[in-house]
Amino acid sequence: MLGSVFAKSLRDLRRSFVGWSLGLAGYVALIVAVYPTIRDNPDLNKLVESYPEALKAFIAFGGQADFTSAAGYLGSELFAFMIPALFLVASVGNGAGAIAGEEERGTLDLLLSFPRSRTRIALEKLAAMCAEVVGLGVVLWLALWIGARIFGMHVSAAHLGSAVAVLVALAIAYGAIAFMLAAGTGRKTLAVGLTVALAVSAYLVNSLAALVDALEPFRKLSPFYHYVAGDPLREGLDPWHTLFLVALGLVAAVAGVLLFARRDVAP
Amino acid sequence: MSAPVIRADGLSKVYGHDRGVADLTFEVGEGEVFGYLGPNGAGKTTTIRLLLDLIRPSSGRIELFGSDVRRAGPAARRSLGYLPGDLRLYERLTAREHLRYFASLRGMRDIGDGEALAGRLELELDRPVRSLSKGNRQKVGLVQALMHRPALAVFDEPTSGLDPLVQQVVYELVAEATADGRTVFVSSHVLSEVQHIADRVALIREGRLQLVDSVETLRRRALTRVEVTFATPPPEGAFGHVPGVHEVERRGSVVRLTLEGSADPLVKALGQFEVEALDSHEADLEDVFLEQYRRPADAR
Repeated sequence: MLGSVFAKSLRDLRRSFVGWSLGLAGYVALIVAVYPTIRDNPDLNKLVESYPEALKAFIAFGGQADFTSAAGYLGSELFAFMIPALFLVASVGNGAGAIAGEEERGTLDLLLSFPRSRTRIALEKLAAMCAEVVGLGVVLWLALWIGARIFGMHVSAAHLGSAVAVLVALAIAYGAIAFMLAAGTGRKTLAVGLTVALAVSAYLVNSLAALVDALEPFRKLSPFYHYVAGDPLREGLDPWHTLFLVALGLVAAVAGVLLFARRDVAP
Repeated sequence: MSAPVIRADGLSKVYGHDRGVADLTFEVGEGEVFGYLGPNGAGKTTTIRLLLDLIRPSSGRIELFGSDVRRAGPAARRSLGYLPGDLRLYERLTAREHLRYFASLRGMRDIGDGEALAGRLELELDRPVRSLSKGNRQKVGLVQALMHRPALAVFDEPTSGLDPLVQQVVYELVAEATADGRTVFVSSHVLSEVQHIADRVALIREGRLQLVDSVETLRRRALTRVEVTFATPPPEGAFGHVPGVHEVERRGSVVRLTLEGSADPLVKALGQFEVEALDSHEADLEDVFLEQYRRPADAR
């Protein structure tokens, strides 16, 4: 587990991975277990239909908000807000900590004294961040698939996988933005703060654009738009929306690596 | 002759105001122990961090094994061992896990001399680093810096936190490294620490090199200190006219003098008085340096 920067970084993440996995699985189990009760309660769906458009825009995960279909229920309860929020917390923390964490703890000087280029070290750390997010995605997908079978939800493994894939792409994109800001400046807290601010703004732009015409032109710049627009729980994976998120992550990662390779490292 | 192991040419790093280093020019040859001395905050660590390409020069250049550290990239650090001045380790790993990790980053299959070095320093390799004292952490730093027999070892204040017995082992390790033709660059704020191991020393102060010279030459320039205890205090200025003698201090009947050159005139002058005790020793290089420190930084 100590054969490379990548392996060491994965090892460092294993405790948090176990914690996140248990939390995710527990949360999914809870939400899924409540599904039969909600589905068999037509009043609740009428209530949702009577919601104002603004609220519906917030709770829908692509398409229409509804609580009776499995896809609508999982979309609103998990994918519209809570799960991406959890994934972003994990990936932004890792992305920002990749370089700046070691820099702030003072271990980076020694690490950079070895015959390994900064570019390679940064890429290995990024790879570890991506691996953790992908791992959490697999845990989420398994929990959803098992839960869906137990509680009779009509949603395919492929559609669940599509939703998880877009989620992973979104989380990695924000992790990469946090990485870029932190590796470029050496300041972890600043990077986390800025990334969270960016994510919240992008989330609001997408959710409010349905109501505020002035926001409409900016909507397609919001990663959250591309996250929900393909309606993956019902329609499967949309390549273009997914590609947007992947490209965003790549651009941020490359920028972070370049910035880190050029700057002075803090003592 | 091959390229010097380290070559700094007009090396400057500006940061903030007053900090950083200016116009450093020096060379360190193969097999040499180079002592890099100066008070805290003088720019020693900045120089080392420039050498390791952790920070980039504002102007000038610095070379390792004949190639620019920036352009050569990781290749320049292939045969380097580095002990940071402010060593931080991974709290969750044991000392052995540190050595394994660092060995793999250097492309080594095992921890090389790590086991043997740890034995000599009496370092337990299987305890987690978080339970180690500052001195033991420093030993982890020393072992990792030497386990691959680097052609150049760069030590920033290597003996800080170590007890005197272990310091002695460190000096032995340095001596052994140079006996193999390896080079050691060692920084310190105390001269006594390096004067016995270094071949040459540089003195840096407020970011500028004050002198670079062999320890031998400096020692020759050093004065002899003489402390004389008289039966009765001699008259003021009794030794003022004696060639090569300078009165430093007197306390009652004890007079401290410095002596340069032959001792004969002083001995003759002392003959006039009743001397109860006489103590003389070669001045530490410390005095030469203190002399330098007293001068304004720009008067070189």
